[in-house]
Amino acid sequence: MALREAFAVALDTLWSHKLRSFLTLLGIIISIWTLVAVVSLVQGVNGYVALKIARLGSNVISIQQYSLEDMTDQKLFRVARVRNRPVSMREFDYLRAHDRLAAQVAASAGRTLNTILKAGVHSMTDVSVRGVTSNSLALASFDVRAGRFLSPTDSRHDTPVAFIGADLAHQLFPGVDPIGQSLTIDGHPFRVIGEASPLGNVFGQSQDGFVDIPLGLYRALYGTQDSLSVELQAPSPALLPALTEETRMLMRNLRHLRYQDADTFGIIGADSLMSLWRQLTGVIAAVMVGVSFVFLVVGGIVIMNIMLAAVTERTREVGIRKALGARRRDILSQFLVESAVLSSTGGVLGILLAYGFTRLAAALTPLPFSLPWLAVAAAFLISTAVGLFFGIYPAQKAARLEPIAALRAET
Amino acid sequence: MAGPPMLDAAPGSAAAATAPGGDVVIATRDLWKIYPMGGEEVAALRGVSIAIRRNEYVAIMGPSGSGKSTLMNVIGCLDTPTRGQYWLNQQLVSELDDDELARIRNHEIGFVFQTFNLLARATALHNVELPLVYAGAPAAERTQRALEALRKVDLFDRRLHRPNELSGGQRQRVAIARALINDPSILLADEPTGNLDSTTSNEIMALLDRLWQQGNTILLVTHEADIAEYAHRVIHIRDGQVARDEPTRRGRQAQGAPAQ
Ligand SMILES: Nc1ncnc2c1ncn2[C@@H]1O[C@H](COP(=O)(O)OP(=O)(O)OP(=O)(O)O)[C@@H](O)[C@H]1O
Ligand SMILES: [Mg+2]
Repeated sequence: MALREAFAVALDTLWSHKLRSFLTLLGIIISIWTLVAVVSLVQGVNGYVALKIARLGSNVISIQQYSLEDMTDQKLFRVARVRNRPVSMREFDYLRAHDRLAAQVAASAGRTLNTILKAGVHSMTDVSVRGVTSNSLALASFDVRAGRFLSPTDSRHDTPVAFIGADLAHQLFPGVDPIGQSLTIDGHPFRVIGEASPLGNVFGQSQDGFVDIPLGLYRALYGTQDSLSVELQAPSPALLPALTEETRMLMRNLRHLRYQDADTFGIIGADSLMSLWRQLTGVIAAVMVGVSFVFLVVGGIVIMNIMLAAVTERTREVGIRKALGARRRDILSQFLVESAVLSSTGGVLGILLAYGFTRLAAALTPLPFSLPWLAVAAAFLISTAVGLFFGIYPAQKAARLEPIAALRAET
Repeated sequence: MAGPPMLDAAPGSAAAATAPGGDVVIATRDLWKIYPMGGEEVAALRGVSIAIRRNEYVAIMGPSGSGKSTLMNVIGCLDTPTRGQYWLNQQLVSELDDDELARIRNHEIGFVFQTFNLLARATALHNVELPLVYAGAPAAERTQRALEALRKVDLFDRRLHRPNELSGGQRQRVAIARALINDPSILLADEPTGNLDSTTSNEIMALLDRLWQQGNTILLVTHEADIAEYAHRVIHIRDGQVARDEPTRRGRQAQGAPAQ
């Protein structure tokens, strides 16, 4: 009944004041936009990371000097820096010899900062140089595109051979087959024996700027004090907890830790990576949601302001409607409907913008972005609720007008 | 409170004094309206008692500022009296709450204003429909009745025009159609021809006359004696009080044979 009238009036005013409505709605639009975009980005990135980790192997753990918790919490890190010790070659050999549950035990060490690679006139800096064992390939996320990976013989004899990522193939050997070519790493000569198929970008960071060389050679070039990262692969994901436990006990025995001592090393598995990731994106999402709520409140206040202006502008209209029999609640619902229609229009625009944004992100990145329906529904409801809430005061003001006073208003 | 004062209302009014109870549409007793004006008080009405019977055609006259509009607004339930009682169809209106007053304005009162008071953004049809919207009538019935009402005031072909696409006389006819849409007990018109030229005024007065003949009760405020001559009875107001209440020439002629 009168509600239909209210909707008709609301849409009519919205449409006849397009620019004003749009400007009024900026706050709501931006707020809903960020809200929905952040939720879908976080979801998309989470999905992507989960995929990547799964590819890395859900049955792999890595022994390093620090645990993920240590590395991401300043307080923990301060303690761990004193307590933890680097993982040594001796420990790697020991694990390889004694870890009966591990199908593969590989080790690596690496650095990126200030490395210089040259091949003829071409050069590259800040390449990720990694010393690896020959079985690292089994645990790696890349495939061999051409040539071969390091062989056990290469590892044993520390042959100066290099397996390069796709970026190096392009930049150091443009237009040339890199296999068999030579390059220097920080001045030391190597022969290229293989090239990896491209991995692409993660967060704008290329994953293809690496060179793998035998671990022994790496330690000869860069010293032996850096911690190793020892990767252990369980025969199946079901055996991963047992492998984790066994490895922890071996490491603790090796380091003569007493029962009450904390681990002086870190064990990183796919699940700990994932949970850390969730925690990180959770913080980002919480901050963005907080920011968008600030926008939302600002947007709501702007709507309240414009509705107060609308009530003043249309006092005479209110008087006419009251003179014709509109009750307080009719006028109240008319203005409430109007502010709710206004703000939910903002919500819809924000959702559309977020949709465009996620489509763009999906096109420009390998991340599987999509708009979660729940977020869309929630955003619509939230924007409508904001309009209703901030519309209450202006609507009450209109509803309480005395008919004759409203009719006499000079507008 | 005693019942409606149909016998002692408006002393000097022969019509009211003999009015049978069921026949009285409007009855007021000792109505006061006092406006506080920054410390001072302005009394716009000072004890007005009148009675109007069904199918009467009454004009209110008086100098500017004498309280005519104030009285009309109180009778039209747009304003509330400071003191005194007002009965509409034997119901004591002066004690009703907001929602009940809205219902009365919707069902019992048809108000025609000097400045038309149409919704500028709505079509003639929608303007006429509006009281039915607040009466809760279904959409189809609303449209049908509004079209019928527009036809009665000869504006069927202007139904989709907005007020600014209509002449003054046409606007006032839309307003009259709107006032009558809910079949009210009384049609109140506060200087309905005040913004119109004399030809258009006569058209509007002819329309009101026709409505009176069809059985409507009409209360009209005017400044002009010739407009007042359309009515059958004139109530003269001065300084917020009834100064005189007498039949017009037309009223005296009709005395023996009142239109029923
Ligand atoms: N809202 C108000 N506040 C204060 N005084 C008012 C108000 N409305 C009316 N008055 C005063 O009440 C008196 C009667 O006003 P009213 O409008 O009823 O006169 P009127 O007879 O209709 O005059 P006119 O013929 O000029 O329309 C005037 O003195 C006016 O100043
Ligand atoms: Mg007046």
